[in-house]
Amino acid sequence: MNAGTALTQDQSRAIRLLGVPFVYAVLLLAVPLGAIVLFSFWTQDFMAVDTTFTLDNYREIADSPIYAMLLQRSLMVSGIVTAVTVVLAYPVAYFISFHVAPSKKSLWLFLITIPFWTSYLIRVFLWKVILGYNGVINSGLIQVGLIEEPLTFILYNVNAVIITLAHAFAPFAILPIFVVLEKIDRSLLEASQDLGESRLSTFFRVTLPLSMPGVVGAVLIVFIPTVGDYVTPELMGGAGGKLIANMIQTQFLQLNNAPLGAALAIVAMLCVTAIALVFVFLNRRWLRGRR
Amino acid sequence: MTDLIKLRGVNKYYGTYHALRDIDLTIRAGEFFSLLGPSGCGKTTLLRVIAGFEGVSAGTVMISDRDMANVPPNQRPTNMVFQSYAIFPHLTVAENVAFGLRKRSDIAKSARAGLVEEALEMVGLGGYGKRAAHALSGGQRQRVALARALILKPKVLLLDEPLSALDKKMREHMQVELIRLQRHVGITFILVTHDQEEALVMSDRIAVMFAGEIGQMDDPETLYRRPKSRRVAEFIGKMNFLPGQVVALSGTDAKADVATGAGQAPGTVPPNRTNRLLTDLMDKIAPGTDTTEDTETPADTAPAPELMTVEIAGLGTAQISVDQAPEGAKLGDAAVGIRPETLAILFEGESPKRHECPGVVDEVVYYGDMTYYDVRIKDVPQPLTIAMKNLIGRPVLEVGATCRVAWDDRALVLF
Repeated sequence: MNAGTALTQDQSRAIRLLGVPFVYAVLLLAVPLGAIVLFSFWTQDFMAVDTTFTLDNYREIADSPIYAMLLQRSLMVSGIVTAVTVVLAYPVAYFISFHVAPSKKSLWLFLITIPFWTSYLIRVFLWKVILGYNGVINSGLIQVGLIEEPLTFILYNVNAVIITLAHAFAPFAILPIFVVLEKIDRSLLEASQDLGESRLSTFFRVTLPLSMPGVVGAVLIVFIPTVGDYVTPELMGGAGGKLIANMIQTQFLQLNNAPLGAALAIVAMLCVTAIALVFVFLNRRWLRGRR
Repeated sequence: MTDLIKLRGVNKYYGTYHALRDIDLTIRAGEFFSLLGPSGCGKTTLLRVIAGFEGVSAGTVMISDRDMANVPPNQRPTNMVFQSYAIFPHLTVAENVAFGLRKRSDIAKSARAGLVEEALEMVGLGGYGKRAAHALSGGQRQRVALARALILKPKVLLLDEPLSALDKKMREHMQVELIRLQRHVGITFILVTHDQEEALVMSDRIAVMFAGEIGQMDDPETLYRRPKSRRVAEFIGKMNFLPGQVVALSGTDAKADVATGAGQAPGTVPPNRTNRLLTDLMDKIAPGTDTTEDTETPADTAPAPELMTVEIAGLGTAQISVDQAPEGAKLGDAAVGIRPETLAILFEGESPKRHECPGVVDEVVYYGDMTYYDVRIKDVPQPLTIAMKNLIGRPVLEVGATCRVAWDDRALVLF
């Protein structure tokens, strides 16, 4: 910043263009984030907040095994959700990119966004209807005679959370993968076959490596928000399916211990950042050979 | 020379669009063969049919006497240099070149690195192996694509407009280099191009395609000198067309002195003249030798050909041999074609020629080495384009100047 010197035309244009979003971002992202960081170093003294700087909250998180357990479970659930989502999204993106006529591609993408037309909560409740004790799956399977007792492992546990989240995040994974697949020069695939590779080995030697940036993008887009999701585990997870986000929510709203909740949020955020950085690093490796 | 590729009655439809019509084609082993035509004529489709990327709607494709009907591209003895070069951006230069070796059990793993370096050296990229493929220039990419295909020693190398993305200088350089490479490796090359000059310079034989059909298939010289149809003549080089009339057939006036230098009949030129001089060809295509100036063409050993007498509007009467005319030419109206470089403007002091007529310069286009004149001649419907070399001491005429135009019976082509 060259405060005091006259602004060039570019600089003043940048200020005009970025000013409003910048203020917006500061107010709604930076300030709350700063507040959370600050809170995490304070303590709750019954109704009042003690603003003396302390690391007590972090110490407590390190000492009580429940937090580590929840965080671990959260990361595991997010990891599985991410893996399931990306693995299922890849064929869909591949199909749209390679097998749908160009004129129909936007229609297909449009159809994929249809689930977003209803509220997320309604979709979660619909999954309850599908997965429930007397739900669509159980009654269907009983009708067909495949099972006698309703399956209980599909609702109110971690499995249900994974199924619901994987469905909810599917479009977010499909789109980045679709975009990179679209950008792959089709003559590269022909060249690979021309050089002796079958269609399948062409996929593993050319298509998949070239689409890795999209896969990594999809992983980040799915993984980061699912770690922080608390609605799905709350509704679908039952007693054993609670995750770190539920604990943070409980600290803030039920136990009235905002400082501890803030510290938990910071710890979760640092974990996500660390994992995301690994992927960003991987992505740069994959991006090595591209402009 | 053995026949390597045989296409018989090949047809290709895209829906109702008839992309290839009854293609019959035989390509010999070791030949540099070009498919030449305007865009959309089906030449790339034909190449892709040979490579196996496109199936045929009817007909057969045989390579080395083996029917390719159900053989996928990865099992054909062909390799392709794509128009975009299709260099894998996620691999290094060496990895690109080695790409096809993985499936080749006949090549020992330990020998591969050496082969890659050898292939890179062959295309002039020795030591480039470790570079990232995306950091290469257009010309380098093309060389990598060549090395990647040639390292597999295919029976046929297919080149899909490989030079169209390069600038003029680079293109001319690569033309010569490709010919050299082809002679060196002895592999059959099939080149697809829309550039007639490129096809003439590089090929042993050329198939000119129009709208899914082969219009003419010949060696460059025959194709240029004796185009069989107007569209072939128009597509390859420049040609003046004049209305004419065949007034007498078969040697009514067999003047032997006119008939000596008759052009070769199609097919008499050996198709793979590996020792031909490039410069000779270059001269011919980059509007070239003024044949009217050196009339001492080697006398044909063929028996005195039959002659036809043709009246040409504005120019007069000409005696042409039958191989300058289409088969079964009849008496009556016909179009007569003359290449600009076979016409000449006679400058002061030059001795009169057998055929000459007065004209007026209508347009002058100066190219440095050549000057193109459009000359108006009485009773000729359109001005004739005449190409003259700018020899030392030869003036460039101005628009409106009067001049004498000389022409030669042997340069005429009847359609």
